[in-house]
Amino acid sequence: MSESKPKPAEPEWDPTYLHSLREVYVIIALFAFFCVWSIFVCYNYGYLSPGEQRSTVTTVLGMPSWAFWGLCLPWLAVDIVAIWFCFFFMVPDDLGEDQPDVYEEMAGIDGKETGNE
Amino acid sequence: MNSLLSLPLLAQAQDGASNAAIVSFSIYIAAVMVLAWLSNRLLQSKSFLSEYFLGSRSLGVWAFALTFAATSSSGGSFIGFPSLVYTHGWIVGLWIGSYMIVPIVSMGLLAKRVNQVARTTGAITIPDVLRDRFESPAFGATATGLIVFFMVFNLIAQFKGGSVILQTLLSDVPMFQMASDSLANVLPSIPILSWSADNPGYLLCLLVFTFAVVIYTAYGGFRAVVWTDVMQGFVMVGGVVLMLPLALYAVGGLGKATQDMAKMTPPNKVQLAFSVETARDSSLSIPANSWFVRGAGDSARVFRTAAQALIVAGEKATRGDDDKGIPGIELTYSGHIQKQVQEATNRPSSLQDVTVEVIESVEYKSGAGQQGTYVTGPGPHPSSDAGFLPFSLAVSFFFMWTFSGAGQPSNMVRLMAFSNANTLRRAIFTVSIYYSLIYFPLVIIFCCARVLLPGWETESDRIMPEMAKATTEIINMPWLAGLLVAAPFAAVMSTMDSFLLMISSAVVRDIYQRNINPHASEKTIKRLTYVVTIAIGAIAMLAAVSPPAFLQDIIVFTGSGLSTSFLTPVALMLYWPRFNHYGALAGMLGGFGTHVTLYAVGTIMAGGKVAAYRLFDFHPFMVGLVASVTIAVIVTLLTPRPPENLVRKYFYKDGGEG
Repeated sequence: MSESKPKPAEPEWDPTYLHSLREVYVIIALFAFFCVWSIFVCYNYGYLSPGEQRSTVTTVLGMPSWAFWGLCLPWLAVDIVAIWFCFFFMVPDDLGEDQPDVYEEMAGIDGKETGNE
Repeated sequence: MNSLLSLPLLAQAQDGASNAAIVSFSIYIAAVMVLAWLSNRLLQSKSFLSEYFLGSRSLGVWAFALTFAATSSSGGSFIGFPSLVYTHGWIVGLWIGSYMIVPIVSMGLLAKRVNQVARTTGAITIPDVLRDRFESPAFGATATGLIVFFMVFNLIAQFKGGSVILQTLLSDVPMFQMASDSLANVLPSIPILSWSADNPGYLLCLLVFTFAVVIYTAYGGFRAVVWTDVMQGFVMVGGVVLMLPLALYAVGGLGKATQDMAKMTPPNKVQLAFSVETARDSSLSIPANSWFVRGAGDSARVFRTAAQALIVAGEKATRGDDDKGIPGIELTYSGHIQKQVQEATNRPSSLQDVTVEVIESVEYKSGAGQQGTYVTGPGPHPSSDAGFLPFSLAVSFFFMWTFSGAGQPSNMVRLMAFSNANTLRRAIFTVSIYYSLIYFPLVIIFCCARVLLPGWETESDRIMPEMAKATTEIINMPWLAGLLVAAPFAAVMSTMDSFLLMISSAVVRDIYQRNINPHASEKTIKRLTYVVTIAIGAIAMLAAVSPPAFLQDIIVFTGSGLSTSFLTPVALMLYWPRFNHYGALAGMLGGFGTHVTLYAVGTIMAGGKVAAYRLFDFHPFMVGLVASVTIAVIVTLLTPRPPENLVRKYFYKDGGEG
């Protein structure tokens, strides 16, 4: 029975990187969703044909209805989604220790040690 | 062309609001100087460079959120944007609509990773991060060059923009006029400033603005910029939140305002000539924005001047440059016409015997005579058949505002400065609410302005201070206008100081310390930093003495140019382990080259005016971004894999040693 060499352990992906990547996918999806919602509603219900007259307009809360359904409502929805995204989905990762600036070290110019003029 | 006796109305800005403007500006400047002094005291106890350019990476929620938001909101948010809403109506809400998602995208997309990578390398500037991430001095130097190239142009434009805003707000203050006249007397003897002899008021504002911004930025560094941003952020949102109920009260509710707007039709652009029956001994000046009503009842016609007119002593008539007449507008909406006719009969005038003659009248190319154009898309436009916001532009702007913000180096450097991930989470939410309180209410406020203050198409950039004056007078609190007009100051200064510091850091850190003298002492770095910051401010000011035309176009060109150059390489270096410095450099230069080429072609086609060539009707930002991504990916896949140690360092736990 020959002893096989132990395989070097596979390094683990940085969890901050993995979490950030997952958050990027969600951010892109959110952008696409709200972009389509807003432009679809505004363009289909808020644009006049050339020469078309519209001396009265349907309103919701005083604003043109297309502006309410296509701008105001998604804007409020984004604010609510922001609560979920920021406080329930985004992971509060450890971002690491701040490394000292090598150039300040090279020049021996750390203000805390040398004081300032 | 008929020439009838006219009843002129002068509608110049009153002293009340302008005095409020100068008082608020003075208090404001004093406050930022105090903040700069406090920042400098803090600077004495910290490591100089990382504190001066990055605030020691210790920003808390409010500082991080408001410096990010305030830097993104330039003078355009409070001058240009209100002007657009006023001129084109409700559809401008869609033009700015993507700001609903901007905070999540522009902060969430890169923030955690860019902050983490910057910590890993101890980077202070964006070129620092790029250089260290790939261990490529060439890439760092290219990034520095692009930042300096774009930001110098942008800074000049911002200096001019700030000075124009200040001049607009102070133009009716007697003390300001006296100071301008005094300056005018000495200008011809100063060669370098003699270009501005025709406009001493502008130069005076430029000097004041430059002095204030350069001093507090140079003295206090990043911390002063952030603290003033926080103050500016509160001023901006406070101004909007106060103005919204005042505007709604003044027009009798939003529903009434919207229905009034639905009936409105765009004004005609006219060229006017003025005459008097008998020549006068002294010259007669007809100020810009003067109203003239011709005729009565249903046949009344109402005009407003867009420039000053002068009937010289001994003459009976006036004409504008090249005999084209004085530019102005003619109202076409009966509600506004009747209002002006009523006010004409109520007001005495010193110009009773002046008659007005219409030389030329031109309708809007889009929306003329079309009821409903101000409450629907694509919105009226004086010179475009497609209207203000055709479909392709609506899509372009939705993308551009969102991703352009994410790709700005001035925003990225803030992403390097927050203290921890919890701060980031709270800040994204804070900025989301902040933008909700600013941009949508601004659309409502300046739709109300269309109803309340007709005729400002003559000088729509003044609509913000005029609305502040009008709404506060209605509730008999003119002093409140001072707080409201402080918002534009705040917006411009918060952008200018950030850009100034970006250029300064690029020169001192990225060029001098990292390439010329790595062993420079703190004393040398400190002196150089102050000198460079002041010198760049002075150079930008001198360039702004005789500034380039097409201000807004230059701001858009530089902002979108920076994003097309930086967004792809920064995003891919954070998220794609296979990405290498060949791909990063190619993507950066590819985006830059595409963007500049499209602008060069557009400018040539426009006969020298800064303009973008819209390939397939899309803005150069989108075309440049697609080109940048494509080039970066292809070049990366065709070139060797990045060194294993770099991949492990930035993508694996504990640098891949676990």
